Amino acid sequence: MEHLIPIGLNHYLTISAFLFGFGLFAVMTRKNAIVVLMGVELILNAANINFLAFSKFNGGIAGVMFSLFIIVIAAAEAAIALAIVINIFKIFKSVDVSSIDTMKE
Amino acid sequence: MHSLIQLSIVVLLLPLLSFVILIFFNRRLPRRGDFLGVGILGTAFAISAYIFWTVIVQTYDPAFKVAWDFTWIDLGKVPGIGPLQIKMGIVIDNLTAIMLAMVTLISLLVHLYSTGYMAGDKNYGRYFAFLGIFTFSMLGIVLSDNLFSIYIFWELVGLSSYLLIGFFFEKDSAADAQKKAFLANRVGDIGMWLGILILYSQFHTFSFDQIYANLAAGKFTMSNAWLTAAGILLFMGCVGKSAQFPLHIWLPDAMEGPTPVSALIHAATMVAAGVYFVARIFVLLTPDALHVIAFIGAFTAFMAATIAITQNDIKRVLAYSTVSQLGYMVLGLGVGAYSAALFHLVTHAFFKACLFLGSGAIIHAMHHEQDMRWMGGLRKHMPWTFATFTLATLALAGLPLTSGFMSKDAILAGAIGFANAEGGGVYYLIPVLGFFSAMLTAFYMGRQIWLVFFGESRTHLKPADNHHSAHHAHGDDHDTHGAHEVHEVSWNMRAPLVILAVLSVFIVYSPNPLDGAEGWFMKMIKTPATVVGPANHNCAVQPVKSAAPLMSEVLPSVAAHGATDSPAEAVSEHGTPKASEHTFADARQAEIAHAAHAAHFPAIYISSIMVVLGISLALVAYVFKIIDPDKTAETIRPLYLFSLNKWYWDEIYEATFIKGSVVLSKMLSWFDTNVIDGIVNGVAFIVKKVAFANNSFDKYVVDGLVNFTAFSVNTTGAVLRKFQTGKVQTYVVMLLVVVFGYFVFYFTRLIY
Repeated sequence: MEHLIPIGLNHYLTISAFLFGFGLFAVMTRKNAIVVLMGVELILNAANINFLAFSKFNGGIAGVMFSLFIIVIAAAEAAIALAIVINIFKIFKSVDVSSIDTMKE
Repeated sequence: MHSLIQLSIVVLLLPLLSFVILIFFNRRLPRRGDFLGVGILGTAFAISAYIFWTVIVQTYDPAFKVAWDFTWIDLGKVPGIGPLQIKMGIVIDNLTAIMLAMVTLISLLVHLYSTGYMAGDKNYGRYFAFLGIFTFSMLGIVLSDNLFSIYIFWELVGLSSYLLIGFFFEKDSAADAQKKAFLANRVGDIGMWLGILILYSQFHTFSFDQIYANLAAGKFTMSNAWLTAAGILLFMGCVGKSAQFPLHIWLPDAMEGPTPVSALIHAATMVAAGVYFVARIFVLLTPDALHVIAFIGAFTAFMAATIAITQNDIKRVLAYSTVSQLGYMVLGLGVGAYSAALFHLVTHAFFKACLFLGSGAIIHAMHHEQDMRWMGGLRKHMPWTFATFTLATLALAGLPLTSGFMSKDAILAGAIGFANAEGGGVYYLIPVLGFFSAMLTAFYMGRQIWLVFFGESRTHLKPADNHHSAHHAHGDDHDTHGAHEVHEVSWNMRAPLVILAVLSVFIVYSPNPLDGAEGWFMKMIKTPATVVGPANHNCAVQPVKSAAPLMSEVLPSVAAHGATDSPAEAVSEHGTPKASEHTFADARQAEIAHAAHAAHFPAIYISSIMVVLGISLALVAYVFKIIDPDKTAETIRPLYLFSLNKWYWDEIYEATFIKGSVVLSKMLSWFDTNVIDGIVNGVAFIVKKVAFANNSFDKYVVDGLVNFTAFSVNTTGAVLRKFQTGKVQTYVVMLLVVVFGYFVFYFTRLIY
C-alpha cells in the first residue's frame, strides 16, 4: 500500500470538477425537470467537496461550516423546487423544461 | 368763504339738481316735473337777484371782487410739464353778478315759457332736464375764475347745446344741425385749448389773476407774437361759441331746436358766453389780437346782416340777426369798447330773447308755420306778442329810448374812436361796416314786423306742396292747413315776453336815454387796464400797475391835458412807441376811450340816420309799396341770390373742408388698405413662412430624433429578445459560454 501516492488536494478537486461537470451536463441536456434538479444537487455537492477539501488542507473550520450550510440549503431547495415542479406539472401536464417557455417575449 | 361765494355755489348747483332729478325721475313726477324745473330756477334767480342787489346796488363799487378757490387735482411735478395743479374757483365781480342775474332770469323765463310752448311733447320732462344742465354749465362759465374750469363748462355748454338743438332728433335736419353745431364748436374749442396751453406752458397756472399778474410782471418769455397767437387762439373759442365769421354757419341751423331753446341758448346766453370769455381775457389781448377781433366782428356783423334781409324763415332772420349782433359785441371788444360790448351783451340778451320767444309764440299760434311769407295780419290776433315783439325790434334796430340804442351807440362810438386813434385808413372800415349793419338791421327787422304782423293773412297763399315737416316731430295733433284760428298765447308764454320787453327799455339801464355811460351798467363795468403792451415782451419794462387799475383812474389825467392837444399828440406817441413801452398800453386804451367819448354824439347822429334810413326803406318797400321788393330782387338777382344763399358759406365749406376731408379720408383709406394692410399682410406672410420653417424643424429634426430613439430602442429590443428563449437551459449554456469567454480572455491576457 506504501507505493500508492497519498490522496492530495488535486484528487479532491478533480473529483469535484467531474461531479460539477456531470451536474452541469445534466442541467444543460436533460429535459425532465426532476433530472435537472438532480444535476443541481450534483453541482452543490461538487461545491461541498471543494469546501471540505480546502478546509482539510488549509485548516480551520470555515469550509466545514459552509458545507453544512450548503447541505441544509440543498435540502430546502429540493423541497421548494419539487413543490414548484409539482405545480408546473399541474399547469402544463408536463415536466419537460424545453416545453415550458411561456415567459419568452 | 364769503357769503356771496356760498350763495353763488348754491345758484350754480341748483340747476344741476334740477337736471339730476328730472333726467331720472321725470316720468314719475306729476306734469313730468316741469314745476320742479321752474321752481328751482325761480329759487336760483331769487338768490342771483340777491347777489345782484348786494353787489351792484348796495356795494356800487366798480372794483368790487371776491374770489375763492380750492385745489381740485394736484398732480405735483409732472415730468416734462412741470408743476400741474388744477384749481376750481369762483370769482364774483360786477360782471359776474350781472351775468348771474341775467342768465338765471332768462333761464327762468324760458322755463316758464316752455311749460306752454313744449306742452304735450313726448320728451317734455327730458327737455327741462336739458335746460337744467345747460343753465348749470352756463353759470359755471360765468363763475369760473380760471381757464381750466371755464374750458370744462365751455364744453358742457357745447354738449347741452348739442342735446337741445337735436331735441327733435327724429327730424334729419335737427340731427344734422346738432352735429354741425358740435363740430363747428369743436374747431373753435381746439384753438381755445391751444391758447390755454400756451399760457399754461409759460406760467404753470390756469388762474386768470395769476396769469395777468405774471404777464404784468413781464414774465412772458416768448416773443410777443406768441402772446398775440395765444389771444387769437383763445378768441377762436369765442369764434366757435359766439358764431363769428369763419364758424358762424352752425348758429342759423341751430334753429332746428325748440324755439325757447333758441331764445335761451342761441340768442341770449351761450352765444354770449364767447363774448363774455373774450371780456374775461380782455386784458391779455395784444393790440394785434384786438385788431383781428375787431375786423372779424365787423365783418361778421355786416355779413350776417346782409344775409338776414332776404331770409324767409322767421327764426332764421333772428338767427342771422343774432350773429350780426354778436359781431357787434366782438367788434366792441376788439376796438376796446369793453363796457359797451358787455352792455350790448346784456341788452341784446333781453331783447333778442324777447324776439325769439315772440317768434315762438307766433310759431306756436300759427301751428308751426315758420315762413314769414305765409304769415301777416297777426297784429289783431296777438296784441301782446305784437307789442312786445315790436318793442324788442325797436331795441334791436337801435331806436332811441331803447336799451339797444344805448349799447349799440356806445359800441359804434368806440369804433369811431378806435379808428380815429389808430390813425384812420383801413380802420375806418370797422365803424363803416358797423353803421351799415345798423341800417340793414333796421331794414330787415322792419321787413319782419311788416310781414308778420301787418297786412292781411297770407296763409291761403301757401303752396300746398310746400308743407313744413316741422310739426310732425311735435307730439301735438294740430292740423296745419285747416282754418287757422290764431289766438294769443296763454299767460305763461305771455309773461316772459312782457318782462323781457320791459327790460328792453332805456330806463332800466340809464336815466339818460341818449347816453348809456351815465347808467349804472357802464359805471360798474369799467375797462380793465391791459397787462400787455405792444412791446411788453421786453422784460426790462416794469409795469406801473399790476393790480388791474381801472380806466377811471387813468382817464382824468389824459382827459385833463387831452382837452387841448391830446388826440394829435397821442397819435404821434403812437407813431413812436419806443418812448415808454408800458404806459403805452394804458395810454392806447385811454386814447381810444377818449376818442370814443368824443365820438359819442357823431355816433348817435349817424346811427340814428342809418336806422331811420333802414326803417324808411322797409316802409317804402313793404308798406307803401313804392318799390316792389320782388322786382328789386329780380333786378339785382345775383346779389339777392348771394344773400339768400347765405353768401354760399355752406357751399364753400362743403367744397373745401368737407370735400377736402372726404378726399383726405379717401387718401388715408387708400394708404390704409395699401400700405398699412400691406405691412400687416407682409408681416403675416413672413410669420407664416417662419412658422412653416419652424414646423418643418419640429417635424423632421425634433420628431426625427424622438422617432430615431424609439426606433433604435425598438431594434435593440427586437435583437435582444432573441436571447430570451424562456428555456432555462439556454440561459445556462449562455452562462457557460460567457464564463468560457471570460476564461479565454483572461488567459489570453495572462499569456501576452
